[in-house]
Amino acid sequence: MDAFILSYAVVNGLLQGAIYGGVALGLSLIFGVLRVVNFAHGSFLMLSLYISFWCWSLFGMDPYLSALINIPAMFALGYMVQSVIIAPLIKRESAMVVEPLSALLLTAGVFLVMDNAALMAFGPDVRALQAGYYVPTIVVGGIPISGQRLIAALAAFAVAGGISYWLRHSDMGRAIRATAQNRDAAAMSGINVSSVYAMTFGLGCSVLGLFGALIAPFLPISPAIGLAFGIKSFIVVVLGGLGSISGAIVGGIVIGVFEAVASQFVTATSASIGSLVLFILILIFRPQGIMGRA
Amino acid sequence: MKTTIAAKSTRSGGLRLNQTTVLVTILLVLALAPIVVTDSFTLHSMIMVLFFAYMATSWNFVCGYVGQLSLGHAMFNGMGGYVSVLMFTQLGLSPWLGMLFGGVLAMVTAVLIGLPTFRLKGPYFTLTMIAFAEIVRIWIENTNEFAGIPLKGAEGLIVPNRGDDFWAFQFSTKLPYYYIILSFLAVALVATAWMERSKLGFCLKAIRGDRDAAEALGVNPTFYTSLAFAISAFMTAIGGSFYAQFFRYINPERSMGLELSIDMAVMSIIGGQGTVLGPLLGAAILTPIAEIARGEFGGGLLGLHLVVYGLALMLCVLYFPKGAIEPIRKLCLRYFGGNER
Repeated sequence: MDAFILSYAVVNGLLQGAIYGGVALGLSLIFGVLRVVNFAHGSFLMLSLYISFWCWSLFGMDPYLSALINIPAMFALGYMVQSVIIAPLIKRESAMVVEPLSALLLTAGVFLVMDNAALMAFGPDVRALQAGYYVPTIVVGGIPISGQRLIAALAAFAVAGGISYWLRHSDMGRAIRATAQNRDAAAMSGINVSSVYAMTFGLGCSVLGLFGALIAPFLPISPAIGLAFGIKSFIVVVLGGLGSISGAIVGGIVIGVFEAVASQFVTATSASIGSLVLFILILIFRPQGIMGRA
Repeated sequence: MKTTIAAKSTRSGGLRLNQTTVLVTILLVLALAPIVVTDSFTLHSMIMVLFFAYMATSWNFVCGYVGQLSLGHAMFNGMGGYVSVLMFTQLGLSPWLGMLFGGVLAMVTAVLIGLPTFRLKGPYFTLTMIAFAEIVRIWIENTNEFAGIPLKGAEGLIVPNRGDDFWAFQFSTKLPYYYIILSFLAVALVATAWMERSKLGFCLKAIRGDRDAAEALGVNPTFYTSLAFAISAFMTAIGGSFYAQFFRYINPERSMGLELSIDMAVMSIIGGQGTVLGPLLGAAILTPIAEIARGEFGGGLLGLHLVVYGLALMLCVLYFPKGAIEPIRKLCLRYFGGNER
């Protein structure tokens, strides 16, 4: 194995992994606060990709510009899903933590509706978006780096840093962390728990709005892509530790590099089977993930 | 204790419903239905209802009673289908025997998977099962030949036509398939009804209530969940062989994809998981939606029935957490008396 090809694979894996991490951020945030595994996570990304695509194809809007539509749209949709669909369940459960399986089933219902509504509306065809200009490819030490991927990967770090900072230093962020620690104690200290939950869900989904716009320029779009990214996000988040923001990025990079390097030695199929095996092993032997606390 | 039971039965008087009566009535009506139903489309739809009722009952056998959500059961369906079809095309073995081999393979796999994973709680178990099923599906989808066995990858397997041949599990009309799947369903329902009152059923329910408490009382959770999981996997694999023989074609996407796993789980949950008749009710409610969507719109509105499944699932989790069977059971209790639906 040539060292150059290997370093090329590592660099590409880093970029791809950071994007995986960025996409998985919202899943981890929502789980950390609401203890809900959002099965529809990938569906929100899929919808956001389609918004970017249609903005480009109908109005000729630049895909990066469509983030301005995507982010508020996904925030609103996430806010609505939480306050209309999941909130009644949380109200019904008197226990500290929501019955995790019922919440999973609710979001599985959202997944079925969103993915198949998209299939009905747009058909199973794969669509691709081409920006009107060319984002230059940077060459570092002989290794070409796609500009579009680099932008998305850097955005993942920026968003993860931004969310962590915001959670630590803003009033809303403190309220979110307090609610994550103890819902009842937070409610007794005057925090509006249901609004915190809806905000968190909205925030988690708006991250997908941003990444939908950022990865639309280089990703073929189809209704099935939601589930593919959803499963990838589960792997990433479990690897990094469910609920951990930094864990999502670390998990994403581990998976990205693992798949890129492994596919130099075995087929890409075996590499993706490998990451599923890694996922199962982590769940069985270290369910708190790499970065999570026991 | 005895007096209260006696008092109850005298109070309700003449018509008294219990689970066994309802079960026998439903099976009898289904057995006689083909006398009235003669057109091929309706019969096909009814076979699909029975098939999904059977699959949901198999899923319910472990997941409903032990309170875990498996979204990976389609892998057992795929194993049953692939083993029986490959044994038929490669070795000329009758699918009636091949399906038993598929069932045993599924059982062994279930025990190997179940031992480490049934300890995981809630969503963790669900995600692990999805991962196992995806591994099997991705592997088959990308493998054309393994150790000399032509798996044919994503292309899928075709069962060669042998005409009307009982040993080849092939019939020129749909009626034999109807009675075959009906008898499979009857066996699965009776097995569930029996299990519910056996030691296995009580242990599973104890584990569902509180795994640690059950273990402290001397119930071995690993043994009982593995046993139920193995039986459930066996039944699911038999269903997979039926599916392969009925359509005479299987591919990884349809016979072991996530969609089938979700179908099985959603039907059980909407009907009422952890009950004998719930999965049958769920399949009877949901499958006709898929069949009507297919019949009315052809391939035009892909995914319509799954949108309805999703909405039904959400409504059910929010308003009927015990499934659609619960309000029906209450109505029956009010009008007919009796103890169990």
